[in-house]
Amino acid sequence: MTETGELDPRRSALVRFARLDQLLDLSRANSLWPLTFGLACCAIEMMATGASRFDLARFGAEVFRPSPRQADVMIVAGTVNRKMAGPIKTLYDQMLEPKWVIAFGNCAISGGPFVFPGQYAVVEGVDKLFPVDVYVPGCPPRPEALIEGILELEEKITGKRRWPRVTVE
Amino acid sequence: MQLEHTVESDNPTQSPRETFVLNVGPQHPSTHGVLRLKLVMDGEYILAVEPVIGYVHRMHEKMGENRTYVQFLPNPSRIDYLSAMHYMHAYVGVVERALGINVPPRAEYIRVITSELNRIASHLVWLGAFLLDLGAFTPLLYAFDDRERILDLLESVSGARLTYCYYRFGGLCNDVDAAFVEGARAFVKHMWPRLKMYHGLVTENIILRKRLEGIGVISAELCRKYGATGPVLRGSGVACDVRKLEPYSVYNEFEFDVPHFGDGDCMARYKVRMEEIAQSLRIIEQAIAKLPIGPIMAEKVPRVVKPPPGDYYFAVEAARGRFAIRLVSDGSEIPYRLKLRTPSFSNLALFGEAARGLLLQDALALLGSLDLVIPDVDR
Amino acid sequence: MNTLLDELKSAFANAAVAPGGGESVKPEASALRVLNVQIKGHQLDVTVTAGAVVAAAELADRFGFAMDTITGVDWIGSGEMEIVYDFFHTQHGSHLVVRTRVPRDNPAVPSIHRVFPGANWHERETHDFFGIKFIGHPNLTPLLLPEDADYHPLRKDFTNAA
Repeated sequence: MTETGELDPRRSALVRFARLDQLLDLSRANSLWPLTFGLACCAIEMMATGASRFDLARFGAEVFRPSPRQADVMIVAGTVNRKMAGPIKTLYDQMLEPKWVIAFGNCAISGGPFVFPGQYAVVEGVDKLFPVDVYVPGCPPRPEALIEGILELEEKITGKRRWPRVTVE
Repeated sequence: MQLEHTVESDNPTQSPRETFVLNVGPQHPSTHGVLRLKLVMDGEYILAVEPVIGYVHRMHEKMGENRTYVQFLPNPSRIDYLSAMHYMHAYVGVVERALGINVPPRAEYIRVITSELNRIASHLVWLGAFLLDLGAFTPLLYAFDDRERILDLLESVSGARLTYCYYRFGGLCNDVDAAFVEGARAFVKHMWPRLKMYHGLVTENIILRKRLEGIGVISAELCRKYGATGPVLRGSGVACDVRKLEPYSVYNEFEFDVPHFGDGDCMARYKVRMEEIAQSLRIIEQAIAKLPIGPIMAEKVPRVVKPPPGDYYFAVEAARGRFAIRLVSDGSEIPYRLKLRTPSFSNLALFGEAARGLLLQDALALLGSLDLVIPDVDR
Repeated sequence: MNTLLDELKSAFANAAVAPGGGESVKPEASALRVLNVQIKGHQLDVTVTAGAVVAAAELADRFGFAMDTITGVDWIGSGEMEIVYDFFHTQHGSHLVVRTRVPRDNPAVPSIHRVFPGANWHERETHDFFGIKFIGHPNLTPLLLPEDADYHPLRKDFTNAA
């Protein structure tokens, strides 16, 4: 330390200082463990994202945990039914904080193609049950869209985006 | 179901054993979707099973009654999204039968090629998921890699990876180009040695054989009583395939076998599906070789689809079994009743009887070998 | 295929008192029609009275047919509900369709689950959607709808009040 109390520049290269919660956010964002919650067609695209071509493991999120106690993020992939609304709320409540929700696919965002006047079975969007952090539209969305959703979530958690955003020319 | 909740043991001096009810699902890695099983267990043996379904009921039949025929076109793909082309085929087929439309040969051949590619993709997903249930992670990655090649081809013609909306009443919406034909040819060439690889990696594996051989035997009579079809029926020795018995499209112009094995156990159903991949490759080869030139859409397809009043029925051999549509039309442009007969519904119905007395892990192997897609059960 | 359907047709025409059951019902095969659907497949379309469905299912079973599906149709205009039983054959391309109509305000039909256990779930589903009672069914609780559902969505006068 110098007389003014600042860090000696020769020493600062060896030591990094950060706030603890920034470090925790970084580690949480880089290893989001999803809950296996595929309900319908979008579940297959979620599996394809975890498979070899799109490889969600690059982003630390390939460890799909069936138990909500061990999962960080619930990727609601598929249509939420009124009969299923109770179990899905129970699963959300069972997840430990901090937890996030990605609504994957049009059905999870707003009921998708199954909304019509007089419909009796579909919950129009999972955000009617609990708060959602990231919405990934599509029917079904491409696996790249799910990866983008994970990156958006990471940006939400840490404040920084680890992959450049792709802009359309 | 009424069942005694205590089991008397053989030795009257011992206390009676108690049973317990184990709930599997609706969120569970091995149930392939949102299926709930209420199992009455005696230790690890299952005494009774009651499947509870309806957790992903998406009102397809109700939607069939309040939209026009054309507006319903996106729905069939979403019933069983893994073999979406077959379900589309049944829907456009029933309307074409009602209107008396003759589909041009090129469109029929392309329908066959895309349907068989879809069947292979569906069986690859089944292979990966089934082996994941049994505890093997690697085949899932191999299977999904092969499946991505098929999806590239199908995406290039239909625009979608999973829930295609490619067929139209009277033909197709897009023609295929030379790149698709070349790509299909290259895929077939790539897939034959991969099948051999799967047999070496998976089928010959001693752990798989011990998990599947002799497990979950389903008799042909049980299949008949429940209406089980597809690989479940063919795995019990009955060579019943809609493409041979009630030929539709141009399937009677191709040479292919209907694989069937008489053991009725999980291994037989497994072998049926692996053989079906080989037969589908055969059909694709023949179809590519004979692909005719011509239009892909029939002439004189009405813009407003109004089938004459009456009942119409069309059945196809989807990847999971017999899928049929019963259409009741009252002459208007909205169907009066659109009944979907799905294979997974009938296949799951026999699980209650077939799983009695099995160990829990064997019952899950049986469930995986039935190849269920739960939105197909619930519609 | 022709011989199978001819035999089946004459079996329907000549069937006398239904075996088993409690009540003796004569399967009146009215409006018996044979339709050629395809070049290879054939369809036999039979209309029976509501009491005769069990006997019709037993005939289908005797001839080796398999349970395909059960469809309910709500003919609100004529105050009736139609129940269509489809059977397919695993050896031939033949198809058997058995139809019956019941009054709409109190629809009830005997259950065929003793002949075809697969009908258990099909009948539950038809009851779910239309409210048709299947007499003798062991468990007519909702199958696809929530356990406490008391509405029948595929009726033509169903409006979602929920």
